[in-house]
Amino acid sequence: MGVFSYWIDTARALRTTLRNAFRPPTTVEFPAVIRPRAERYRASFALVDDENGECACVACQACEKICPSQVIKMKSGGKRESPVTGKKRAYADEFVLDLSACMQCELCVQVCNNDAIVMIREPEEPAYTRADLVFDMAHLRDNAHTKTATWANGTRLQEMQEGKKVPKAKPEPKPEPKPEPKPEPKAEPKPPTEGGTP
Amino acid sequence: MTEGLQSARRGAIDPHLSIRHYDADADLMLLHFGPQHPSTHGVFRMDLYLDGEVIVKATPFLGYLHRGVEKLCEKLTYVQQTPVVDKNDYVSPMINEQALNMAFEKLLKLEVPRRARWLRTLLAELQRLASHLLWLGTFTLDLGGALGGGSTLFLHCFRERELILDLFEELTGSRFHYNTHTIGGNRHDLPAGLAAKVEVALAAIAARLGEYEDLSLGHAIFQARTKGVGTLDSDLALELGITGPILRASGVDHDLRRDAPYHAYDELTVNVATEHAGDCFARASVRFAEMRESIRLCRAVLEGLPEGPIAASKAVRLPTAVKIASGQVYVGIEGPRGEIGTFVIAGGDTPTTPYRLKIRAPSMHALAAIPYVMPGATLSDAVAILGSLDPIMGEVDR
Ligand code: SF4
Ligand code: SF4
Repeated sequence: MGVFSYWIDTARALRTTLRNAFRPPTTVEFPAVIRPRAERYRASFALVDDENGECACVACQACEKICPSQVIKMKSGGKRESPVTGKKRAYADEFVLDLSACMQCELCVQVCNNDAIVMIREPEEPAYTRADLVFDMAHLRDNAHTKTATWANGTRLQEMQEGKKVPKAKPEPKPEPKPEPKPEPKAEPKPPTEGGTP
Repeated sequence: MTEGLQSARRGAIDPHLSIRHYDADADLMLLHFGPQHPSTHGVFRMDLYLDGEVIVKATPFLGYLHRGVEKLCEKLTYVQQTPVVDKNDYVSPMINEQALNMAFEKLLKLEVPRRARWLRTLLAELQRLASHLLWLGTFTLDLGGALGGGSTLFLHCFRERELILDLFEELTGSRFHYNTHTIGGNRHDLPAGLAAKVEVALAAIAARLGEYEDLSLGHAIFQARTKGVGTLDSDLALELGITGPILRASGVDHDLRRDAPYHAYDELTVNVATEHAGDCFARASVRFAEMRESIRLCRAVLEGLPEGPIAASKAVRLPTAVKIASGQVYVGIEGPRGEIGTFVIAGGDTPTTPYRLKIRAPSMHALAAIPYVMPGATLSDAVAILGSLDPIMGEVDR
């Protein structure tokens, strides 16, 4: 015992450290390599277009009301004739979202019955002032064209929770419990070599 | 009373007396520990009175991270509160959400579907595992031994915790502030293939745990730093309302998962680990045993995960979707740090907001032990004791 055992245990600890030095790295060189983001990853927002190329938002204010941080503000443009289809529909004239106070809770996406507001997977660029993180309608509509949207939109989230048939990436409850017996034996010889983020 | 009892038991001066009552000739030194000290796990300050290197009196000061969450919840409607309480115990947000929503469900007498209860069990156990991994990393970092693998273990634990956060990211889309629970069930169902990924992550963590145990519990320097340090006896722990691994390390066999089952715990067997020494080492070994138990429970849940709906309620479309006219309820569940509880009195300004919402934070009770366990320890032990109490200031101050 005593000080001698400290040295022995330290040598053992160093062996573990060495063993880990030869494991594959966990981190990636960020700006050069971007780790794949999950399909549901929530970062920023976009206002998508409907099938006629107009903004799908009808300024129903559901998202404005549910937002716990109260960061969404909009101005309804009232009902007018659509220049594309000629039918009457409601428009949002202004739509402002303050990302600096948003907590990415996804409630606004869930309540949107028109699937107009969705979240996107790419984070926004860092900003110098808070005002730069207050996005107007033009920026949000632009995001819909230039960034990747997440899996979620209002309809899908509502259907997932209410257990209706759900489009693609939705789980089929059945096959799920089955694959697990397989990875288990496979995973056992794995640990010495495995260590990277999946 | 309580204080007198404790000081009599310890044969020391009442820890709550002002420093003026201490020996004036002792030449004590006042040391402000924190609020920016890296080992205080957030912003927490202690005033330590030192006689040489030995702590004579320790006074914790809270409130540096107070955000007024409870008051905010009186203004937000029931459905808006889940994303806010995520930020209380920011190391185990899943369990905060569950404690909150279970309280509302109890008020509404809402039956949560079976699949949702099993899913919640899975999330709770994964979160417990992630939380304990973070604790292990920061605790060994606090002990500081580069020789004992201090920062090594810190990085290793974060690497494994990352596996779990990746799973949560895939399930909910968020790595931390999930907002995946709702009143009546869950919002997100498992995406295809996630169950298999959980298995792989669990196997990787299970295989590494032995290595970590070797670097911490089995390491002579770690033992020398933790054995007999910060001893907390069971009577004092019970008096202070301490729960969770700290209480179990003091020899009290108490675990809400087994004693008052919720979620799917009534259908699973939970083996509760206890230790009797009550020192930092005992707290560490209890948490190690809990990590193994969590892995076992996760596997059991994956095996028996039933099919069916994940929520008893429709998805929220309006902030006023949930109305509770009156009533009050307390729900406590077993978090990684002890009993996380929510006490709600319904019937605020509107039927959609509570009159009062109180969150019982286990870390706050753990910090109450500081004036009792610190005196007599050395300054270097203070860090070990604080690390073994595993306080998360976000939930202490709320
Ligand atoms: S984004 Fe959706 S919820 Fe929000 S105002 Fe537009 S249509 Fe309504
Ligand atoms: S994600 Fe939540 S906080 Fe952010 S804008 Fe939507 S509702 Fe508001």
